[in-house]
Amino acid sequence: MLLKKRGYFFVLDAVLGLFVLIIGVFLVTSYYIEVPQPVQVGLLSDDLLSFLSNTKIKDLNNPYAGIGGQLWQQGIITDTENSLLQQIGEFYSTNKLDTAEKFVQNVSVEVIPSQFRYEIWINTVLIYPKNPAPEHVNSKESTEVMLTSKKITFGMVNKTTSKVWGPYKAEVYVWER
Amino acid sequence: MGKIISKKGIFFTFVAITIMTVIALVFAPPLDTALLKDAQPLHTRITSIDNYINDLQEAYFETVLRATTHKAILSLIFYMNTTGFYLKDLDSTFRDVMMNGTIKHPPGSLTHVRIDDITGKKIMENNTLLNWTSKITNVAFDTLNINASINITNISVIQTKPWNIDSSIRINFTVKSDAARWEKAAVITTTISVEGFHDPYYLVNTNGKYTNIIKKSTVAFDKWNISLVREHLRNGTYVHWQASDAPSFLMRFNNSMDNSSCCGIESLVNPNLITPSDQRESYLDYMFWSHVYNDVQNCTKLYNITTPSTGTGLWDEFNYFKMDINHVTMYNITSKDAVRNC
Repeated sequence: MLLKKRGYFFVLDAVLGLFVLIIGVFLVTSYYIEVPQPVQVGLLSDDLLSFLSNTKIKDLNNPYAGIGGQLWQQGIITDTENSLLQQIGEFYSTNKLDTAEKFVQNVSVEVIPSQFRYEIWINTVLIYPKNPAPEHVNSKESTEVMLTSKKITFGMVNKTTSKVWGPYKAEVYVWER
Repeated sequence: MGKIISKKGIFFTFVAITIMTVIALVFAPPLDTALLKDAQPLHTRITSIDNYINDLQEAYFETVLRATTHKAILSLIFYMNTTGFYLKDLDSTFRDVMMNGTIKHPPGSLTHVRIDDITGKKIMENNTLLNWTSKITNVAFDTLNINASINITNISVIQTKPWNIDSSIRINFTVKSDAARWEKAAVITTTISVEGFHDPYYLVNTNGKYTNIIKKSTVAFDKWNISLVREHLRNGTYVHWQASDAPSFLMRFNNSMDNSSCCGIESLVNPNLITPSDQRESYLDYMFWSHVYNDVQNCTKLYNITTPSTGTGLWDEFNYFKMDINHVTMYNITSKDAVRNC
């Protein structure tokens, strides 16, 4: 009898120890594994800004903003060497904010997955969406994770007269709906 | 008996420790996840500042240098037109205008005056290298929260080709952030075209009454004839000859009419636009106002580009137009269209 009771004691001791250690491991691992969603949103904001600053007008196949597109034919876009971000900055510097909004909408539509919302600001002026809908504002206010990426942009409006615009602060905000 | 009991207890303890070790190994996160959590933001931040520095070096200052060079040259031309002064020292004057938007006025004095105040045109206002440096420093602080210190030295302007101006600056910059510190030096160069600028030599010599805009002639050196010379004179276009005797565009700012073998350019003075139209000169711009053939003894080396007996040549449209013998040959004008001045 005495022997059996001592065996139970050890088993109970081992089970209790095991339980405490499992709880500890669980807490530690759950602390480490908390981050995947913010990283994804962070990458999206970086990706969008990289896309805008590294893609040139000449490389864009878009019926509105690309070479031969609507803005090109109207003479609103003239420099094919401009990056998309520079073109947005140029629209901002020449006060073509409506065109800038439509331009952003056209070039970014397939870049950001539909479950995310985003904004583009130049020098603290909201370029896209120019007049945000109430649900956009509510979504922004209630989101738990929103990350931003920033970059400086500048360029030349007219190469003949060497008129330079900028440097401006360009910001991209991305969050989940 | 007691010994047996102790052994069983040790056995259970070993079993528990083994099971726990296995569970810990299976469920513990990889070590690099913990490191990555801290490293990711730092990496992103350093990459952002690296990109900023590359942009600064490869794009921003190149753009700014191009714009400022264009505006400085334009301002200097307006200055010469307004004051009628040639520049004493192009390099130092160019440096002052580029950096501060000021000029020693009158030339040779020690008084610095804002060039826009003299020309009456706001060309350099908010467009000097100091202005652009200050703008990018402020925006960088606002955007990336970094302190950048940018120092510009060695501003120079030269010509190595007849139709281009090369300007360069040396920049030393220090960028400090909470993550790291960068120190770099770079030489930035840019090239702008001289086409489209007014020729300052015409402006100063005629008190601004006769202006000629630099425009390159498209005629090949071995294709000239009297008809093309007429077009050339009518359009006020410029020519560069190999081993030219003419001055370069920049030499025209300080009235240096020596030859520039690399970059000399010349145009023809239209007699209809000067008073008096009939002068004993070769109507090549750099010879005309430096009076190379003005001496009466030189009239034998001058040719009237007309033939009174046949009425050919250029005098039907450009009366009194003359050229020296060398240029008569270079422009392939034959005796049918030219006669010696005396």
